[in-house]
Amino acid sequence: MTTAALFFILLLCLLTGMPIAFALGLSSITTILLFSHDSLASIALKLLESQSGHYTLLAIPFFILSSTFLSTGGVATRIINFAIDCVGWIRGGLAMASVLACMIFAAVSGSSPATVAAIGSIVIAGMVKAGYPKEMAAGVITNAGTLGILIPPSIVMLVYAAATEESAARLFMAGFIPGIMMGTLLMIAIYIVARIKGLPAQPWVGFKTLLRSSFTASWGLMLIIIVLGSIYGGICSPTEAAAVSAVYAFFIAIFIYRDMGPLKGEKWQENEGDGLPKMVVRNLLLSVKALPLTLFHKDTKKVLMDASKVSIMLLFIIGNAMLFAHVLTTERIPHHIAEIIVGWGLPAWGFLIVVNILLLMAGNFMEPSAILLIMAPILFPIAVQLGIDPIHLGIIMVVNMEIGMITPPVGLNLFVTSGITGESITWVMRASLPWLMILLVFLVMITYIPQISLFLPEYIDKLKGY
Amino acid sequence: MFFRIINGIEEAIIALLLASMTLLVFVEVVLRFGFSTGMMWAQELTLHLSAWMVLFGVSYGIKVGSHIGVDALVKTFTPKARRIVGGIAVAACLFYTALFIKGSWVYLAKMRQIGIELDDLPIQKWVAHSILLIGMVMIAIRLVILLKGVFTGKNEGFTLTDEAKEAMHLAEETKAAAQGGKPV
Repeated sequence: MTTAALFFILLLCLLTGMPIAFALGLSSITTILLFSHDSLASIALKLLESQSGHYTLLAIPFFILSSTFLSTGGVATRIINFAIDCVGWIRGGLAMASVLACMIFAAVSGSSPATVAAIGSIVIAGMVKAGYPKEMAAGVITNAGTLGILIPPSIVMLVYAAATEESAARLFMAGFIPGIMMGTLLMIAIYIVARIKGLPAQPWVGFKTLLRSSFTASWGLMLIIIVLGSIYGGICSPTEAAAVSAVYAFFIAIFIYRDMGPLKGEKWQENEGDGLPKMVVRNLLLSVKALPLTLFHKDTKKVLMDASKVSIMLLFIIGNAMLFAHVLTTERIPHHIAEIIVGWGLPAWGFLIVVNILLLMAGNFMEPSAILLIMAPILFPIAVQLGIDPIHLGIIMVVNMEIGMITPPVGLNLFVTSGITGESITWVMRASLPWLMILLVFLVMITYIPQISLFLPEYIDKLKGY
Repeated sequence: MFFRIINGIEEAIIALLLASMTLLVFVEVVLRFGFSTGMMWAQELTLHLSAWMVLFGVSYGIKVGSHIGVDALVKTFTPKARRIVGGIAVAACLFYTALFIKGSWVYLAKMRQIGIELDDLPIQKWVAHSILLIGMVMIAIRLVILLKGVFTGKNEGFTLTDEAKEAMHLAEETKAAAQGGKPV
């Protein structure tokens, strides 16, 4: 009865188009008032504690801030140049380079739609000009863009960690190999298609150009290395790594890349033939002079506002989702469902099929983080009872969410690709369908070979001597 | 004019809270690795800054339409039906804030009566936690304004964020950056 009421009210609220946070909170608080004896004051305290009692959750605003600083057109261009110089000379190289660029930009920005928009806006046109079919260009980008939530640091993984109280650091380790694998799978498929269709290769640019473009891109790449290195090495908690990366991203964006802030457009060399000493001194002086200005500059404030808008939205949903999870646990709802499922004699692999289908369906209607917050507290206890590793379950859920981003009606990536190519949604769907098949095969692999996800976290545990 | 000032203050407070919590954690990391010392109270302060940012910012988020929701069904309605459903949704959220205002009032009153402080900071607990009440009242005010808008036909209900549309700005920006010659 309580279960039915909770889910009925939630569904009703969601369908009216109210913000998900309110829908979760309202359905939980109404259910509590109707069926249990908790006082309003204790519920109020619970909501406050959800905001002020979880240090791990702070990684979310910090990562969002750092990615907002670096999610600029300038950074995307640098990464694309680097990727093309890297793998462009292979047959089908331009498409492979776009996958590589998507992987890197995804890790820096942590957002799928942003990756598709930034990388796609340049490379789709570039590929068409180089003689690729437009369908292929659009399809590859739409799919590769989903890597944003799988390759760590990933916001969606932090949300899963928050919902299940699992270690975010271990999830970040677990997502690394699947992310690389997914990218590699796409690249292999591209190579095969390129061989069959005789797609062109770009000329080899030479080591000097490659060095130059990798140096330029390295400032952004360093962010991934700092974050993952310090988390994998156990030096920092994800929250601390995120705060450091936010400050690092601020410096890179304003003083090195100069895409924003008071130094915007300022050249590194005043005149073409300036020597190194003169350049260093001049830029140091410029930076010192600009430092106080940056703190009050309108670009800094805009980034802060953009980041906090997203963070507030997410953290408020998480707070209300914790109320929702509280109702679930006190009513022992997951426990009852688990008993029923175990009673059916459903094996772990059968349960995982159900999980995949359930998540793929939900992924068609809601945002990844919202789905995770609703589904994880229900699925998690069942999975644990069936002997499925919680970290493995997390990766399965994230890959499902990836697929949700490219299936209608709420497939964000489809909308973005449709926006940048000017084609219809149906056209984009058809274009990305063959590549979606690869993603589905990948999902089956991830689901039934837990070692892909669990190898790295277990290996790092062994290194540390546990 | 009055609303513009309010808006400016809201934005300044939110930006300041986010910046200060980030810097606080950053400084703590630097102190730990650079000088092998720490700040005992930093964690508690950061967490409370975050709670203030979120609960203070929710009402701002409603105003600028940065919350996410499911509008797949509502979009298929006629404008009039959309306004009715939107109005009901806003009213339901008002009910939510009413419950929380009452709950947090009782809670804060009790805390004030007991008069305990936070664990590491010498701040009264009811003062640090008062943001729950403040935030909920702010949300309620915003919802009342929104409800009035729905009645007069100015709004159709909640404005939800459209991530795809926002990503398009980035696409424009990237195109511009690529045409602007080689970066750095």
